[in-house]
Amino acid sequence: MRADDGVMSLDFLAGFTIFLLALIMVVSMVPGLLAGLGSSSIDYDAVAYRTGVILVEDPGWPVYPPWEMNADPDEIERMGFSVSRETPNVLLSTKIERFFDSGFTAGDYRSKAIFGDYPYSYNISIRSLDGAYQNSTGEPLPPGHGYGYIRRVVKIKEPGVANIDDRFASQYAIPNPGAPEWNSTVRNFTVQLNFSKLLDPERDPAYRIDPRTEPVRVNIDFAQYCTDSSGATLQNVTFWKKDPTRPNARFTRIPFSYDEENADLYTLHTDGVPRSLAPGAPVKSSISLVLKPAATSQFTLDQNSILDIRFTFEDETPHTNITGIHHYDYNTTNVALPALQPAVLEVAIW
Amino acid sequence: MACMNEEGQWIVLMGLLVAVGIFFLALIINQSALVGQTTAEGVLEFPKNDIRDLRAAVFDYVDYVDRFGNANNRSSQAVRQDIIAISLERKNAVVDFDVESPQNISGRLLYPVTIHYNNGVTKYDERVYY
Amino acid sequence: MVSEEGQLYTMEGVAAGIIMLLAAYIAVSTTGIYTTGDTHIPDMQLEQLGSDVLAMMDTPDTAGDSKSDLENFVNTNNGDEFKKMFLSYCNATTSGDLDNLHMSAVVVYRSGGEIREHQFVAPDDNTWTGRENAVRVTRWVQLPTTRPAGMPTDMPNDRPKAVLVEVLLWRA
Repeated sequence: MRADDGVMSLDFLAGFTIFLLALIMVVSMVPGLLAGLGSSSIDYDAVAYRTGVILVEDPGWPVYPPWEMNADPDEIERMGFSVSRETPNVLLSTKIERFFDSGFTAGDYRSKAIFGDYPYSYNISIRSLDGAYQNSTGEPLPPGHGYGYIRRVVKIKEPGVANIDDRFASQYAIPNPGAPEWNSTVRNFTVQLNFSKLLDPERDPAYRIDPRTEPVRVNIDFAQYCTDSSGATLQNVTFWKKDPTRPNARFTRIPFSYDEENADLYTLHTDGVPRSLAPGAPVKSSISLVLKPAATSQFTLDQNSILDIRFTFEDETPHTNITGIHHYDYNTTNVALPALQPAVLEVAIW
Repeated sequence: MACMNEEGQWIVLMGLLVAVGIFFLALIINQSALVGQTTAEGVLEFPKNDIRDLRAAVFDYVDYVDRFGNANNRSSQAVRQDIIAISLERKNAVVDFDVESPQNISGRLLYPVTIHYNNGVTKYDERVYY
Repeated sequence: MVSEEGQLYTMEGVAAGIIMLLAAYIAVSTTGIYTTGDTHIPDMQLEQLGSDVLAMMDTPDTAGDSKSDLENFVNTNNGDEFKKMFLSYCNATTSGDLDNLHMSAVVVYRSGGEIREHQFVAPDDNTWTGRENAVRVTRWVQLPTTRPAGMPTDMPNDRPKAVLVEVLLWRA
């Protein structure tokens, strides 16, 4: 009699085959369930929206002293472009310029603007409608639509400039140079910034002049004040401050490295030639000074101070008839504050 | 039958195991797809721009009151009714706001304004000096 | 010759197979795949963009302007210029290419006890087929006592008014 212990019957084979076939079909359907669901791609649009809000509606942290003036990226907690909390979508040009300069690594952008545990790839770009701003950072966009995206429309606030041109010709020229009170060889011209007027809280931050966060720009059309063809010698440009809330308030000269040229703190051009703040060289046609907020923050000014920028000219006989105080304030003839520029900002995350 | 042959039951058991595994997987996937959806819906749901716009409109109203007289004359009340009625009808939100007489806050004369907003999902109450 | 003992295995195999197939079918047909439209992400992007554009049109460019561009357009009933500026802001991208968004607008005002609308920008008819969901964004505008020329006659003429500008925005 044959023993049939090791022999499988045909029916068993048929049943097992059906089972295996069904199992294979089911297992091949499972990847279809998981299609289109990478665990991090669900997030992309939400992260892009959040980054857009942080950049456009938040002024960043620390707010004062502002993060864009901090040379050390580690001390910046969060980067944002907005002028202030109360003015969302109005961006400050100095913050935009600092964000896009090359001092930040991808890791800095991720930890200070994008946030999140996963290292997202990003592309943040801004363009003003008139073409003046065209900046971007991050990797090029992937083809197709596999990335999270948000687009925000904003307006950019640029710093004002004091143009001292022929409108002021009679106001700042000495009327009677021959008179005895004008017989010294020194001529002084001052640009005065009264912080209590500039930082008046009644003024909307979108239209404010704030020397602590924006550069102060002064352009003097000197040709009309120059009385000698060899030019007047600009001895130095000095900074003076006064605190009017103190008793016996006087102007004191601010200690500063006037002899060194430092493009991060200021730029001074006489007739187009870059100089330090003690040029001692003759000027014929133009003086232009840009005082950057990094320098103003060193002056330890508070919201009641008065800052004077004094241009001192000296020759053996006076070669210029300029005098007076120009107030850097909200009078539109004194300071031209540019209009807000519409722009568009895009954030892509993948 | 005297005794049922139970030898093939292990095949059905394997089948059941695979079925349970599929149900578990489907549950996980179902929940994970919701993550992206609720994030965007959560953003849509919070009326950030509506509330900001309402505040700007109320501040414009305060400017008007400041220029032309008190908050109780006919024109001011009509503007206030405009905002309340149109918000209810078009924005599906109950809004209410009140302006009181100005107070001196650190040297400036400011109006205390109370704003209430409720669109059924989000409630917003604020007292601000403008 | 052929014994019936293996039939058990066949039946069990068939039953197991049916259970698995049923489970897989039920699981796949109930989860469903969410498209991006279901998640309302394009709606959110469009709504934020529209709100931004209205807010920027309502911000005067210099401190000296007493009225913003939006107020000027509504005060003079200038729907064409409003549409031009709105579309130029919302179709601009950083790469310079133009997006393809369309809009229409109404001004909602209160007259007596009723809320009425005035068509400010009419929708262009050639995009009524093949467009995605439209979003609605709004902005409050203050109108002076005198009714602007061109506005409907049932808008009050004897008091200042607050009106709501509603813009419908869609991608074609």
